[in-house]
Amino acid sequence: MTAGITLSGVGKVYPDGTRAVTALDLQIEPGELMVLVGPSGCGKTTTLRMTAGLEEATEGEIWIGDRLVNALDPRERDVAMVFQNYALYPHMTVFDNIAFPLRAHGLRRDEVRARVQRTATLLGLDGLLERKPRALSGGQRQRVAMGRAIVREPQVFLLDEPLSNLDAKLRTEMRAEIAALQRELRVTTMYVTHDQVEAMTMGTRIAVMRDGMLLQHGAPQVLYDEPDNLLVAAFIGAPVMNLLRGRIERDRNGLTCVLGSGRLPIAPNGSAAELASYAGTDVAVGIRAEHLGEPSAGPSGRPTLQGRVRLVERLGAEQLVQLAVDAAAVTADGGPTESGRTAAITARFDAHAQVTPGELCEVAVATERLHFFDLATRHAIRGRD
Amino acid sequence: MAAARYTRATLVRELGFVAVAAIFCVPFYLLVAIALETTAQADTTPLAFPRPPHFGNFSTAWRTGGQFGLGHALQSSLIITVSSVAGLIVLGSLCAYTIARRKSRLSDVVYILFVLAIILPFQLAIIPLFVELRHLGLVGNYAGMIVLNIGLLMPLTVFLYTGFIRALPRDYEEAARVDGARLLRTYARIVFPLLRPITGTAAVLLAVIVWNEFFVALIFLAGSRYQTLPVALYTFAGDYTARWNLVFAGVAIAIAPLLGFFVFAQRELIRGFTAGVKG
Repeated sequence: MTAGITLSGVGKVYPDGTRAVTALDLQIEPGELMVLVGPSGCGKTTTLRMTAGLEEATEGEIWIGDRLVNALDPRERDVAMVFQNYALYPHMTVFDNIAFPLRAHGLRRDEVRARVQRTATLLGLDGLLERKPRALSGGQRQRVAMGRAIVREPQVFLLDEPLSNLDAKLRTEMRAEIAALQRELRVTTMYVTHDQVEAMTMGTRIAVMRDGMLLQHGAPQVLYDEPDNLLVAAFIGAPVMNLLRGRIERDRNGLTCVLGSGRLPIAPNGSAAELASYAGTDVAVGIRAEHLGEPSAGPSGRPTLQGRVRLVERLGAEQLVQLAVDAAAVTADGGPTESGRTAAITARFDAHAQVTPGELCEVAVATERLHFFDLATRHAIRGRD
Repeated sequence: MAAARYTRATLVRELGFVAVAAIFCVPFYLLVAIALETTAQADTTPLAFPRPPHFGNFSTAWRTGGQFGLGHALQSSLIITVSSVAGLIVLGSLCAYTIARRKSRLSDVVYILFVLAIILPFQLAIIPLFVELRHLGLVGNYAGMIVLNIGLLMPLTVFLYTGFIRALPRDYEEAARVDGARLLRTYARIVFPLLRPITGTAAVLLAVIVWNEFFVALIFLAGSRYQTLPVALYTFAGDYTARWNLVFAGVAIAIAPLLGFFVFAQRELIRGFTAGVKG
């Protein structure tokens, strides 16, 4: 039976004083696939390794099901792990690799054979059991690593960037395969990746980490639509969210967001009340590419921004248009960028819109979908709903 | 590609290599040639290859070398070498594994002590060592010789293994731990097999050293029935100072087993020198 994972106030400080993880609270429900995502060095792998028992948590408690596992050896935690480079034992055949965890737990010979056989069939490894790892392709090695993890039917899977060694096409395939396998086996899974696309497509929920801290966790769509934090906003989504420095002003129609020479009236929605307290100050304004479009396409009367077209990427179904607008860009940390008073923003246009690089172009802004962030705290400015 | 062309420079370089190789072969030629000469030939024309070759030297050497013949010494040498090398590999790799993987100050200190022990001449301690071992009943028998060899060569063994293990990725061991293997199983099933290249290197190196070891064997096996080959050859050389043909025949017999082992193990040896572990 699969068990949930509860991390409560978990922290890691290395003996040399380096802090890798700070006060991490995270609950992973039984059967859920939780993706830990973040830039390299954000503490996600350390968190995974603490859950596996390969690193000691210096603070907090780690629970698997109803067992406090802080003091338990990896062997006693009943977890299985897939390593970034698979760590297939090079001197053993595929069969012996998959059988290793069973033998280590002292299963009978015929039981081992039967379970390895069943796992191999499930993963399509039937013809490869006598091969050594070096005679396998990348995708096959990946499967063997998965096989070694699932053969023991552990309570928890821990996957550490399992797809990063594969080429793009295979990665997409294996992404679907692993997600399907996880759904089929319904085993609680902690999945670490730095690739936000992987996180979005695979996770039941996503936890975004940065500098050892958990920034936000929730369903992928929630993180995409309502990022709590400038860092999450900048990290989740491709193309990345456009982030500009804007000033909130109050006039007789209500609140307006001033972006360089453009003025965008702010729709009186949930965040308006919170935003009112920022009147007269600068904030970070986030706009997703799909909320910037050609003026003729959306509902009429939308406010527009003007910019010079720098680049047009034709993707077949749509075009990504990069424009230079006269507003300052903001980094994920809330600071200014090197580009000064002009920022490059990306808009998503219809595939058949006529745009040519160098021309001046108007883009319509879906102002009700704007995101606002406090420049100092990086927190989203929005009403409590 | 210019580099692939056979030019005059290539020819000169090749001739150079051939010359160096030939120089390395000279002692071996002398060994074989003199071992096949009669005593008179060895005195008058030692450098010429004998015609006809005189194979009788080998049987004379085999029968009369050492106290009980070279056959007996060969047996002693084999027992001592195989046991010592096996002990060194098992204990040395375990010890190095602990030193390489434990992140404590103590293991650094222990490692430095081992390295120091390679440099220090053990001969300085030979007298107390002899007294101590005689108290323990370890003089004049196999067990004593084996213990002594293991002790004296442990630093070198640990040094060789530690360097290799430090370069070995930890992932395999961590995978084994998560898979549920305990320390000893992880070591025996995962780590030790991965050490094969360095085990090959260490085995050849240590076997050569133990096999050729003379000084310790001379002192600690003195007067016993367990003379090793080098000691047997020494007494033999003493008996026939002027008869180099017999000495050389004895040497040829003595190095033959080692040569065979080297040819057998050389693939692993080269791998240990050049390659790490490939997944």
